[in-house]
Amino acid sequence: MSKWKIYTPDGVRDILFDECYAKREMENRIRNTFRSYGYYEIETPTIEFFDVFSSEIEHFPQESMVKFFDQKGRILVLRPDITVPVARITATKNRDVQLPIKYSYIGNVFRFNEVGGGRQNEFTQAGVEMLGDYSSESDAEIIAVAINTLKSAGLENFQIDIGQVEFFKGLAEEAGFSNEDVDRISKLIDRKDFVGVEEIVNRYKMSSELRELILKLPGLFGSIEVIEKFKKATKNVRSLAALENIEEVIGILGDYGFSKYISVDLGMLKGLNYDTGIIFRGFTHGVGFPILSGGRYDSLTSSFGKDCPATGFSLGINMLMTAFENTQMSSEKPSVDSLICYKKCNRKSAIEIAEALRRQALNIETFMLIEEIEQGIDYAVSKQIGGVVFIQDNGKITIHDIVKNTINETSYDELINN
Amino acid sequence: MRYLTIALSKGRLTDMSIELFEAIGIDCTELKSSTRKLILSDEKNKIKFFLAKPADVPTYVEYGAADIGIVGKDTLLEEGRNVYEVLDLGFAACKMALAGPAELQGKIDELNIKRVGTKYPNIARNYFEKNRRESVEIIKLNGSVELAPLVGLSEVIVDLVESGRTLKENGLVVLDTIADISARMVVNRVSMKMENERIQKIIDGVREQLVARR
Repeated sequence: MSKWKIYTPDGVRDILFDECYAKREMENRIRNTFRSYGYYEIETPTIEFFDVFSSEIEHFPQESMVKFFDQKGRILVLRPDITVPVARITATKNRDVQLPIKYSYIGNVFRFNEVGGGRQNEFTQAGVEMLGDYSSESDAEIIAVAINTLKSAGLENFQIDIGQVEFFKGLAEEAGFSNEDVDRISKLIDRKDFVGVEEIVNRYKMSSELRELILKLPGLFGSIEVIEKFKKATKNVRSLAALENIEEVIGILGDYGFSKYISVDLGMLKGLNYDTGIIFRGFTHGVGFPILSGGRYDSLTSSFGKDCPATGFSLGINMLMTAFENTQMSSEKPSVDSLICYKKCNRKSAIEIAEALRRQALNIETFMLIEEIEQGIDYAVSKQIGGVVFIQDNGKITIHDIVKNTINETSYDELINN
Repeated sequence: MRYLTIALSKGRLTDMSIELFEAIGIDCTELKSSTRKLILSDEKNKIKFFLAKPADVPTYVEYGAADIGIVGKDTLLEEGRNVYEVLDLGFAACKMALAGPAELQGKIDELNIKRVGTKYPNIARNYFEKNRRESVEIIKLNGSVELAPLVGLSEVIVDLVESGRTLKENGLVVLDTIADISARMVVNRVSMKMENERIQKIIDGVREQLVARR
């Protein structure tokens, strides 16, 4: 009956003291970065209707969502992301709000993933979304927020890879690929599978320049010069507009002073139905998966009944934590400043002192001794608390410094005012 | 400098991979010696190697435990891992095929119940669902797949076909080709970006070797 009692389900886990502390600190720094750009935080329900996530445009595969029923038999899911709920809010509750609307969120999302390497079935996403702005300025701002978010989290060595799906879409249109082949070839390009791309291209008749360009797409990544090179290689209006957009965005990021974090990948293609312009991913050492991902999704809100351009990004906090762990970067740890020990008869003055010190923003634990002071010192050592304050009879107070191994006598006033 | 880690498939791809890496100036002496060490290195180029079961190579690369991997296209198709597939190395070439008794030639669509014996359940399922748009019963086997139709375990099989001799000797024929298979070089998505220069140098070097040998 209680076979599973002592286990946690696949892909979810307990996050204990040090890790939880580091995570909250990281979340706070990320939250402050979001606020500093004017992206205000919202909370959306953990539970949503299945239909919210099963629109034509952004389909989370059915099998990747955690599903159950409400009392009326309707299908519910644990939210697999927060971007889609933001689109829902924009098209419904916020439909008459002055645009652009800037959202931010930090919350847990749920997907049946393959677990490992930082991936979990329940994980924390932090992200921002800007709804109602078409411009390259907003594309660039979102990437700038992403870069500053990583910096504020304490990461220095990372890279943001920028692509533009319209570049590919223009070429695909010109080549006259069938819908199925567009889908297939985009996946192959994204995998940088030159062989597979060539196989499909060979089935179509097209100009030799176009053929050449599509075959090169998987390798079209690296520094910004990639763009300049390919501006000359095509006359496709849609593709050229994409290159201009990406060039402008990179120019603006230069104004932010962020050029060193930027690279370009025109062969990066994620969800063709969902992405409508700039897309980007963030990488760092120590994790094999992108730590953040974002881009433009102008057609998502229309599935909720309002046309509204949109761009945003989300970051996997757990993934970021894994990067810190694997590269041995130190993270903050929780700490208690002092342990106040007392015997039952001195409880009142011990509590008074503890509360006074806590009001001074110190972290204080109290410990009622049943045996001698060694009992409290043992506990302090095990919890790595550096100082023990022993409240004794007749107002006598001693401070035991565990690191220096000294004992000093002090008074109530000295302790509170110092 | 950070070590680059290369995962090689243990088995028939090993020697050919080693030879290719040596040709581009990577020191594989440690790799060729019959040591029991699991991880071997070229200290000069800061490269580590390890040998893994072929089916595990895409996993190591996807998770970033290895930056580069050498593995057969069959394994890549079966494992469906999210990696960059940057080079077709050309060697160990063969086909993934649907095979069965000769009398089924041109008649597979008429069969009502199809049981498929295979070592590659994912490839078989994908092929039937996506290419033929039908549901089938997949029977996972671990070897001598040709046996299955002979003893009535399945109607057809999905398997690698090299020369076709085994099939022929057992009265089976290729009913459809599913994919061309050969050894591939795969790269982790993050490594490709974070260590682009060094990895690109290896890719370019290997590519030149392959062109020179053609």
